[in-house]
Amino acid sequence: MAEPQGPFAGAVMEDVFGLAAGWVQENLLIPLLYGLGLMRWEDIAFGWALFAVYGACQVVVTFAVCLPLEHWRPVERWPNNNAVWVDALYTAISRIGVLPLVTFVLFYRLQVATNGYLADHGWVPPTLERLFPALLGQQILTFALYAIVLDFAEYWRHWLAHRFRWWWALHSLHHAQRQMTFWSDDRNHILDDLIAFVWFSAIALAIGVPPLQFPLLVLVLRFLESLSHANVRLSFGSIGDRLLISPRFHRAHHGIKAAGVRSCNYGAVLPWWDILFGTADFAHDYAPTGDPSGEEALATGSYWQQQGAGLRRFIRSFSATATPRRIG
Amino acid sequence: MRRVYFRRTAMRWAVFLLPILLLAPHARAAGVAFVIDSGAAAISVVDMATLQEVRRIPVLREPHHLVPSPDGKSLLVGDTAGNEMLFLDPATGAIQKRMPIADPYQLGFSPDGKFLTVAGLARNQIDVYDAASMKLLKRFPVKSTPSHVAYSPDSATAFVTLQDTDRLVAIDLRKLEEKWNQPVGKTPAGVLWLNGKVLVADMGTDYVAQVDPADGRVVAKIVTGKGAHNLFLSPDRKILWVNNRAGGTTAAVDPTTLKVLRTYAIPGGPDDIDFAPDGKLWITRRWAEKVAVLDPATGNYQTVAVGRSPHGLWLNPKAPSPAR
Ligand SMILES: [Zn+2]
Ligand SMILES: [Zn+2]
Repeated sequence: MAEPQGPFAGAVMEDVFGLAAGWVQENLLIPLLYGLGLMRWEDIAFGWALFAVYGACQVVVTFAVCLPLEHWRPVERWPNNNAVWVDALYTAISRIGVLPLVTFVLFYRLQVATNGYLADHGWVPPTLERLFPALLGQQILTFALYAIVLDFAEYWRHWLAHRFRWWWALHSLHHAQRQMTFWSDDRNHILDDLIAFVWFSAIALAIGVPPLQFPLLVLVLRFLESLSHANVRLSFGSIGDRLLISPRFHRAHHGIKAAGVRSCNYGAVLPWWDILFGTADFAHDYAPTGDPSGEEALATGSYWQQQGAGLRRFIRSFSATATPRRIG
Repeated sequence: MRRVYFRRTAMRWAVFLLPILLLAPHARAAGVAFVIDSGAAAISVVDMATLQEVRRIPVLREPHHLVPSPDGKSLLVGDTAGNEMLFLDPATGAIQKRMPIADPYQLGFSPDGKFLTVAGLARNQIDVYDAASMKLLKRFPVKSTPSHVAYSPDSATAFVTLQDTDRLVAIDLRKLEEKWNQPVGKTPAGVLWLNGKVLVADMGTDYVAQVDPADGRVVAKIVTGKGAHNLFLSPDRKILWVNNRAGGTTAAVDPTTLKVLRTYAIPGGPDDIDFAPDGKLWITRRWAEKVAVLDPATGNYQTVAVGRSPHGLWLNPKAPSPAR
C-alpha cells in the first residue's frame, strides 16, 4: 500500500491555510455573494480568502514573536505609544483587508491579459521554470530563486523611492515614524503602494511570478520584513547581518540622518545588494528614527491625516520652491 | 432483492479476497484518476484502487480543465495563467508535449472529433481549433468570461456559457460564425446537450435553465439547489447529475421528466464529476481540497485528499495503478 507521506510533506502544512480559507469561503463569503446575486465573484472571493488567511497568520506570528522581543530589549521606551496604533491599522489594511483583494483582482487580470496577448503573438511570456525546466517540481529552489530576483527588484525600487524627490515625498511617510515598531513595515502612502504594485507587476510579467504558489514562504519573507522594523536591539551577528537583514541593519535606514535622497541599507530581506552596490552601512548603532524635514502630521497624524500630508508633500515636490532637500 | 443479495455476497467475498489481492499487485483492480489542483499549479495522480494521491505533476501556473483527445492517445490539460496546453499520456501522466496557447480555461472536442473549442475565461475569447492539426480556425471575442462548452450531437453547433454577462452563445462550426447569443439566467456555468435541448446551470440562482438550441430561448427552469454550477449525464444516460455550488449539494435528476430524484450533501463547493465503472461518482470539492467518491446507493462518500482548489478530473479505469 502507498504510504501517505512522499512528495507532499510541504503540502500538508499548507493544507491548514487552504482549508481555513475554504471554510471562510463556504460559510461566510458564498452565502453573502449568493444572497447579493454576486456569484460571479466567487473565484476571486476564494483568492481573497486565501490572502486574508495568510495575512492574518502573518500578523499573528509577527505579533507573537516581535512583541516579546520588543519587551525584552527595546531600543527606545516611549511615555505613550499612540503613534504605534496607526501602524497597526496600516498592517490590518494591507495584509488582511482591502489591499489583498484589490491586488488579487488587479494583478490576476493584468497578468492574464498581458501574458495572453503576448502568447497570441507567438511570444511565450518567460518564466524561470521555462528558462530552467529542471526547476519544475523543485518548489523550494524555485521559490528561492523567485525570492532573490524579487528582493533585487525591491532594492532598486526602494533606492529610486529615495532618489526622486516626488517619490521621496510619498515614501517619507514610511520614514516619518519616530516610534518605529514591527507594525511599521506597512505604513506607506497609498500612491507609494500603488507604484510598488505596478513595479511588482512589471517584474512579474518579465519572469512570471506565481504569487499563490508559495504562500507559506511568502509568509516567512513578510515576517522578516516586519521583524526588521521591530523596536529591539537585535543583530544577527557580523556574519548573520550580511546574510539576512536584521532590526539593527534596517534601523540604520530609518535613522534621522538617513531620511532623504541619500540613504543607506535599502534592502528588504537580503543585505546582499547593499553590500554589492556600496550602500550598506553596518556601523550605525540603533539611531533614533524619523524624518525631521516632514510635516508633523506625517508622524503623528491619523491615517487620513498622514495620507493627506503625504499627498500635499507629493504635490509640493513638483514646484520649484519645494522644501529644501535633505542630504544626510 | 436479488441484486441486494448479490451485492452482499460479493462484498463478503471481497472482504476475504482483499488481502490476497493486495499481495498480488498485478491482479488488483486498478485505474488512475487525474485531478487538477488549480490552486496548487499541479495535477494530482490518484490510485483509484487505494484512493491515495500517489504523486503530483507540476505545471506552470493555474490549470483548470482537462479532456482526452478523440483518439484516446493524449490527455489535454489547459494551464490558464501559464498560457500552455499540456498533452499527457492518459495512462501514466507522462508529459508528451507542451504547446503555447493563450488562456486555455475550459476545453472540449466535438462529438465527431473534428473540432476543439477552447474557452478563454480571463481573456474573453472562444477559440475553435481544427482538432487534427491543432490549427486555430477562428477566434470569437465575446462578452464576457466564457466558461463551459457543449456541442449538439451532430457537431454542427458549439454552446458556450458567458458567465459575467448571463448569456449563452451558439457557434455554428460549419460556417464558423455566431448563431445566436441569448440571456439564460444568472451567472451561467455548466452546459450540456440533453434530448434535443441545451441545459445551462445558473450559478447565481437555484435552477438549471432548459434552452431551445434553435434560438436560445429559455423554455423551462429545473430547480436543483442553490448555486447550480455544473451538470453531467451518467454513462448509462439514466441520471442527470447537477452540482449546486452554494448549497453544497449534488442533485440526481431524471433526464426525461427533469424531476429531482434525490439530493446528496457534498460540502466544500462541488464542481466537476466523472463516473467510475463501479457506479461511484468522483466529485471535486473546490474549497475542501478533496475529491468525494460518492456511492449513490447509500449516499455516503469516501474522501481523497488532493491539492488546493481541485477542479477538473478524469478517470482512466483501464490504466494500471500509477507509479510514484
Ligand atoms: Zn526608505
Ligand atoms: Zn522600513
